[in-house]
Amino acid sequence: MSGRRIGVYVCQCGGNIGDYVDVDKVVEEIKGDDDVVIARSAMFTCSDATQQEIVQDAQEQGLDALVVASCSPKLHTVTFRDVAKRAGMNPFQYTQVNVREQCSWTHTDDKTGATEKATRLVRAGINRTRLTEPLEPIVVETTPKSLVVGGGIAGLRAALGLAELGLTVFLVEKEARLGGHVAGYGPMFPNDRKGSDLVATLEEKVRANPAITVFTNAELMAKSGSFGNNQATIAIHDGDKLETIQVDVGSIVVATGFDDYEPAAGEFGYGLDGVVTLPEFKKMVDEAPGLLQYKGRPVKTVAYIYCVGSRQDESLEGAHTYCSRYCCTSAVHTALEAQKLAGDLRQYHLYRDMRTYGKYELLWNASRESGSLYLRVPDDEPPAVEKLSSGGLKVTTRDLLTGEEEIAIPADLVVLVTGMVPRDNAELVSVLKLPVGNDGFYNEIHPKLRPVETIVDGVLICGACQAPKTSSEAVAAGLAAVTQSGAMLKRGYAELDPMVATVYADLCTWCGKCRAACPYDAIEQVELDGRQVAQVVKTACKGCGGCVPVCPEDATDLLGYTDAQIKSMIDGMMEVSCS
Amino acid sequence: MKGTTKYDALVVGSGIGGMESALKLGDMGYKVLVVEKDASVGGKMILLSKVFPTLDCASCISTPKMAATIHHPNIDVLTYAEVDGIRANGDGTYRARITQRPKFIDEAACTGCRQCEMACNVAVPDEFNADLVSRRAAYIAFPQAVPKKAVIDRAGISPCTGACPAGIKAHGYVARVRSGEYEQAFDLVLEATPLVGSLGRACYAPCESECTRGELEGPLPIRRLKRFIADAHYGRGRDGDPEAVAIEQNGKKVAVVGSGPAGLTAALQLARKGYGVTILEAAEQAGGMLRLGIPAYRLPNEVIDHDISNVTALGVEIRTGVRVDDPAGLKDDGFDAVLVATGTHKAVRLRVPGEELDGVRSALTFLADVKLGKDVGLSGKKVLVVGGGNVAIDAARSARRLGAASVDQVSLECCEEMPAHDFEVEEARAEGITLHDGWGIDHFEGDGRLQAAEIKVCTCVFDPDGRFHPEYDETQRDIIACDVVIVAAGMRADTETFGLETNGDHTLVADPGTLQTAVPHIFAAGDVVTGPTMITTAVGQGRRAAFMIDRYLQGQVLDPGLFDEPLPVVDKDTVLARQQVYDRREPLESNAVMRAAPTDFEETEGPMTEDEAFLGAARCLDCGVCSECHACVDVCPADAIKLDDRPVAIEAEVGTVVLATGFNLFPADAKPQYGYGRFKNVITGMQMDRLLAPTRPYNAVLRPSDGKVPDNIAYIMCTGSRDETVDNPLCSKICCMYSVKQNQLIMGALPLADVTVYYIDVRSVGKGYDEFYQQARDMGCNFVKGRVSGITETEEGNLTLRYEDIENGGALAEAEHDLVVLAVGVQPSRGVAELFAGNGDALALDDHYYVGEVDEDLDPGRTNLPGVFVAGAAAGAKDIPDSILHAGAAVAQAAAHLERARVADEAKAKVPS
Repeated sequence: MSGRRIGVYVCQCGGNIGDYVDVDKVVEEIKGDDDVVIARSAMFTCSDATQQEIVQDAQEQGLDALVVASCSPKLHTVTFRDVAKRAGMNPFQYTQVNVREQCSWTHTDDKTGATEKATRLVRAGINRTRLTEPLEPIVVETTPKSLVVGGGIAGLRAALGLAELGLTVFLVEKEARLGGHVAGYGPMFPNDRKGSDLVATLEEKVRANPAITVFTNAELMAKSGSFGNNQATIAIHDGDKLETIQVDVGSIVVATGFDDYEPAAGEFGYGLDGVVTLPEFKKMVDEAPGLLQYKGRPVKTVAYIYCVGSRQDESLEGAHTYCSRYCCTSAVHTALEAQKLAGDLRQYHLYRDMRTYGKYELLWNASRESGSLYLRVPDDEPPAVEKLSSGGLKVTTRDLLTGEEEIAIPADLVVLVTGMVPRDNAELVSVLKLPVGNDGFYNEIHPKLRPVETIVDGVLICGACQAPKTSSEAVAAGLAAVTQSGAMLKRGYAELDPMVATVYADLCTWCGKCRAACPYDAIEQVELDGRQVAQVVKTACKGCGGCVPVCPEDATDLLGYTDAQIKSMIDGMMEVSCS
Repeated sequence: MKGTTKYDALVVGSGIGGMESALKLGDMGYKVLVVEKDASVGGKMILLSKVFPTLDCASCISTPKMAATIHHPNIDVLTYAEVDGIRANGDGTYRARITQRPKFIDEAACTGCRQCEMACNVAVPDEFNADLVSRRAAYIAFPQAVPKKAVIDRAGISPCTGACPAGIKAHGYVARVRSGEYEQAFDLVLEATPLVGSLGRACYAPCESECTRGELEGPLPIRRLKRFIADAHYGRGRDGDPEAVAIEQNGKKVAVVGSGPAGLTAALQLARKGYGVTILEAAEQAGGMLRLGIPAYRLPNEVIDHDISNVTALGVEIRTGVRVDDPAGLKDDGFDAVLVATGTHKAVRLRVPGEELDGVRSALTFLADVKLGKDVGLSGKKVLVVGGGNVAIDAARSARRLGAASVDQVSLECCEEMPAHDFEVEEARAEGITLHDGWGIDHFEGDGRLQAAEIKVCTCVFDPDGRFHPEYDETQRDIIACDVVIVAAGMRADTETFGLETNGDHTLVADPGTLQTAVPHIFAAGDVVTGPTMITTAVGQGRRAAFMIDRYLQGQVLDPGLFDEPLPVVDKDTVLARQQVYDRREPLESNAVMRAAPTDFEETEGPMTEDEAFLGAARCLDCGVCSECHACVDVCPADAIKLDDRPVAIEAEVGTVVLATGFNLFPADAKPQYGYGRFKNVITGMQMDRLLAPTRPYNAVLRPSDGKVPDNIAYIMCTGSRDETVDNPLCSKICCMYSVKQNQLIMGALPLADVTVYYIDVRSVGKGYDEFYQQARDMGCNFVKGRVSGITETEEGNLTLRYEDIENGGALAEAEHDLVVLAVGVQPSRGVAELFAGNGDALALDDHYYVGEVDEDLDPGRTNLPGVFVAGAAAGAKDIPDSILHAGAAVAQAAAHLERARVADEAKAKVPS
């Protein structure tokens, strides 16, 4: 008995846990454990009602520490720390035990086993909690400045939005000009505004805003620092000259956009004269001098092949299995624009699923009414494109909508409706330690809980670098990153997790192994009473614990997960239940 | 929160878009007011099972945001509140008018223990379970509700209760009977009046005329249910008087003159409040008209005795045989206030020749004599009753019972126009009374003693102004031989000696709202004020008088508005629209026994059996939702029920507005060929989400018609979307994905079930979405391209779908499934533009009635009104991640708007004035 007063709550999570773990049995098992003052089960521990109940229990029973066994700490650590705080406990004397992702969901076929495992996990959590010390968050002042990486439409709008919140902004663009893909676009769906005009409007405002500094021909070379206070090194190319500057920023908004899919030679006839990609065709339509022409020849018939470079069969090497979201609507819109140029233009669309979602459906309706013909091709039988001896092209397919006859479409032009692919930004990924998903796009922490944040503090992502998006969706995401930056930086300070490494200076002999092990440059060598010892830069430390096992003197430890705590957790897990 | 309050931002709606907006603005340090119309924050997302494409539990994602929203130091949340209007101040700021709808709960006291919910016996469709099951009138929206506080759903006063002049909670006691809580039902009536038994027999039941069930098969037997609970109470071994109840006396004394319905009711109410009440009754027995006017076959004396014992049990003294001529003088006897409730006991004369003959008498004295057991000597006599009202009928039927050789009745009005109730006329006829309707008395003949009456045809009873002014055809006459004439020509108040101001008809002048007379300590109530009327009206007056006398004696202002302050009566059409179908439930037949020649005063109407009472009460439609039965009040351990809660108007000055009003789901019955609402096993996507949710109503996926576990489920995509026939050409964006999600969950929950999706295009558009769709295919979900044209139902409740099988040659095909899920799409939420009505610039909507975004390309979420932004699906169909990002966009601009205003204010402040 340590004299601690611990409250333990085991969650049913509706049926998510309760269907596979006998939660009441778990409670029964641990409720006699040392220092456990109260042990209960709850339907949804995260619900407000149960939160209130915990607060009440804590006050009535004088709890000084809390264990909640529920889902992944990723979901609810912050939630229950707040509960602990409201209940008058130190929020860092709370332990979240994961009995869902790491127990009920993985053992759906073995309720007895899952229940026993849950009991052991909870007991480990109790043991850890018993040894917790009250900790205080590390308060750091934040820098009211942001760095935006990428000067496409999302980055431009984000820069402007940040400045409008009163933050100082640095915008870094790799190219010589701002505007990214959209700057090169003519009329865009759904409002028929020219991409070039949109970008010009934004660029003018950005350039005119004294709070925004724009660096073109520039790249982010290095980033250091910690939450709310980063030092970014920007390299600016001026001809052969290279200038490097350093800026202090509180957040970094990554808006590096996408690349167009480049079909392989021969893919749907790519490489044949007259086979073009959607962006190429759009440009052709945008720049058409009155009539639609290809290499000086009038275009009378166009065949579109959809999902080129998207929704690819997963068995292909490096397949893009995702849907690129924007291309259906973009192709439909381009066809409408083309039809305006030549009323008698014959257009054939070979699609799989027409994904003109939401209000974009109206464009598809308009396109069909304007004369475009839509043919649904089988998923497993892609159309074939051939060059005819006459010089024209022939697209062969089967149309599922009209009795599956094989149809040969003669076409002057074949447009491959290409999708978006992740841009190769290996250097930036390495500088910012950006998390990259299986599809090659950057990953947010959680699409609903934290949709623009990455696992790297203060590094936000938005726009098409995260996933294929339309222009206005990318702008919305850019503004959402503005909002997140504002939520982090407007207050002027931030509270950081104090569960960081610590060095027992009396034991330390400064061998440097801990500094070598630290991925965050969070350990420095200092002189103390004439001795060289290691010291943790608390604001930089992420609490990964990498420095702890390498210390030959056992002079490093991780607050919240001390060696003693880890050992007690292992003991807890090994403990055999009395029943 | 009273008066005008100031916030940086108003967020309308607390779905995922609203919560996200509020939280981010709050995190930035802005003060935010969130107004949510439902009882809980969370919107639609919290009601879902899991969410695509991660299959996160919707609760797990929503609940922390919900809790964070209401616990955020910078956010105030009003739930169960409506924004009535938002007015531009002209400087980019806005003033919002908000109504906090009454929750009828003291939210600070409520612990969310659900005792009220368990005690409540009203069931209405549970909107939080997509109407799959029912919920109570007292309820907590759903298990994860935030705040987790009860709300009592009061749509208004039920029409029955609203119709009762006595203020008896008719719906309430009906609901109590339904639960078998007869004593509590009795107590509920007793709250209003001691006359539970008397009203259960002799009330003319205006409640039943207003009963909404009357629009279907016929009204509930509300009066007879009251009789049932009185019979149950009085019959429960309570032969003697009820136990005396000790009430702390406040030392003040009130005299009640008259022991009729008004007097008895007032006495009960005053005695409860601790007044020493004495009733002074001129007659030999207490009860007023109940005792003296209503024949025993309608209202037996024992019932009146029982009712009166409810009053005397509280220590009220009744002195009979005491006639008061000078009410004001009672002050000298130590009474601090006096209530005059003497009724109308003076008979109106006919004023025809021969009225003074021996044998001509008034119905009032006749009925009183009969009721008091005096011999009136009618045996073998020919009796003629004069009058067409209920009193005349009572007299005629009493005479019939007393052995009269014949009973004739003359009424000026013809049968249909007689003031007596139709059923009374009918019963009189059934008992062998000869009615001469449309005739008047010319004169009575006799030689000292009455022998006959000469009657003449009445051509018109009232003049064009509606005043009583009979005209006759003097040429058409007849003679009726008679030994006794009983005149029921009306009655009036006997107030000549009171020394109080009277009206022309001898009624007392009293303020209609306070019932106070010109003499401050004298109040008047009942027929002596209103003239002859119904028992319930007199009861209502008695209650009002007691309320006012109490205020008067406590030195408080006599404000008529404070008495009873009811909610508005709920509209019957609204009630009937709550359900698409109502099972037919036959009304209870009358069990009154009609004998051709009755010889005794046995009650004609029999008691109700317990089964009849239950079935009768169970037909109630719960019009007002809450029945006011007070079951919740009885059980609430926190004393948190506040049925007198009323709407509170709130005004807020706000610097910016974020509209996060979300969307509506397409009403599936608007697509009749799919049979939703008619075929029980056709459900909506939201209903399936509820069936799959962790808080699912049946704890399993079952089909509604018979509870069978479905094994062959069909999904019909694009229900209400991409469909000009329902005026919605738009794609709803979310339905493909929520269906695919459900497909996966069903295949987990029901591994043996087949799932077939009838689709046009599968629009799995978003990060990881197409992979998610592919996963459903790989799990075995069958996707059939083709639009379903119609559904028919088989005898077993299965559904036959007709569709074009596009991918297999395009032939028309049929397929049978045992459950059909309609993937309903979204519609714009209503009433958003109206919030800004009255401003110079209206809020612009787009062509499809979503909130318009004026610059979707560069400023998504910005509306045409400066400082007003739209977040999430209020601007168009969006899934959850898109709504959250869109809310982020709205917030960035709302914050920029506030920042501009702040900078401008600071600049202004620097200018020296």
